Amino acid sequence: MKRITQRRERGVDIPTASTGDIAFLLIIFFMVSTVFRKEVGLQVILPQAAATERLLRRRNVASVWLDARGNSTIDDNLVTPELVTVVMAEKVLNNPDLVVSLQVDREVDYGRVNDVLEALKEARALKVTFATEYLEGG
Amino acid sequence: MPRGHKGKSRESGPPAIPTASMGDIAFLIIIFFMTTSIFSREKGLRIALPEKGEEVRIRSENIITVAVSPDGQVLAGTEREPIAIDEVREYVVRQLAENPELAIALRVSRRAPYRVMIAVFDQLKLAKAERISLVPVLDQEEG
Repeated sequence: MKRITQRRERGVDIPTASTGDIAFLLIIFFMVSTVFRKEVGLQVILPQAAATERLLRRRNVASVWLDARGNSTIDDNLVTPELVTVVMAEKVLNNPDLVVSLQVDREVDYGRVNDVLEALKEARALKVTFATEYLEGG
Repeated sequence: MPRGHKGKSRESGPPAIPTASMGDIAFLIIIFFMTTSIFSREKGLRIALPEKGEEVRIRSENIITVAVSPDGQVLAGTEREPIAIDEVREYVVRQLAENPELAIALRVSRRAPYRVMIAVFDQLKLAKAERISLVPVLDQEEG
């Protein structure tokens, strides 16, 4: 009994000297994992969908943008549907796991989307996602 | 010179840089990076396209067609009866319960808005339909 009371008097100490190190390790992690967006893209209002899923591994994603004014771009270059095939075929050759994300404005006629899909088939870029926003309460 | 005297008396102890606040500083920087970094902004609805020329033939009784007309109306089944977009899910779930092998062909007019196509596609995804195909619509078919 006596010993226990003696220990208590000394006081409990949590070493805090290493919190700074831990925090800096976390900083380094965030600095390394942060990818700043290179592509600007076009101004599009994406459609909403309740079944929206997240795409992992951003490095495998290439985006095709179609806006309501009739422009389409890849890597901030204006392209025609025929060019989509050429550009994407090269990208797929460099990275077979490539996922093409279609950033299409909600007011675009489906015909243009269909043309891009056909071009992607031609380029053998078969993994495609339609970029959407989360729809609450689906 | 009471000030000078005071300073001298401080110096007498061993010099020390206070490190207690290092953790606080580091955490502030962490919070900055956490709030500014964007994790996988990419999100959407997935689909796997068929390879060109390798389209799989499916027996006609295993296919149901969901069509979107140029004015954005949704037509379901062989009878092409118009249904509301949020009824598509229920319709497909019912059809899948009868025949789990069922493939759904989504036939969208070229002039239909993309918004409607995604809304219908979303419904198919919510209905857990595994086999969805986007059927290209030729210009001359629309008249």
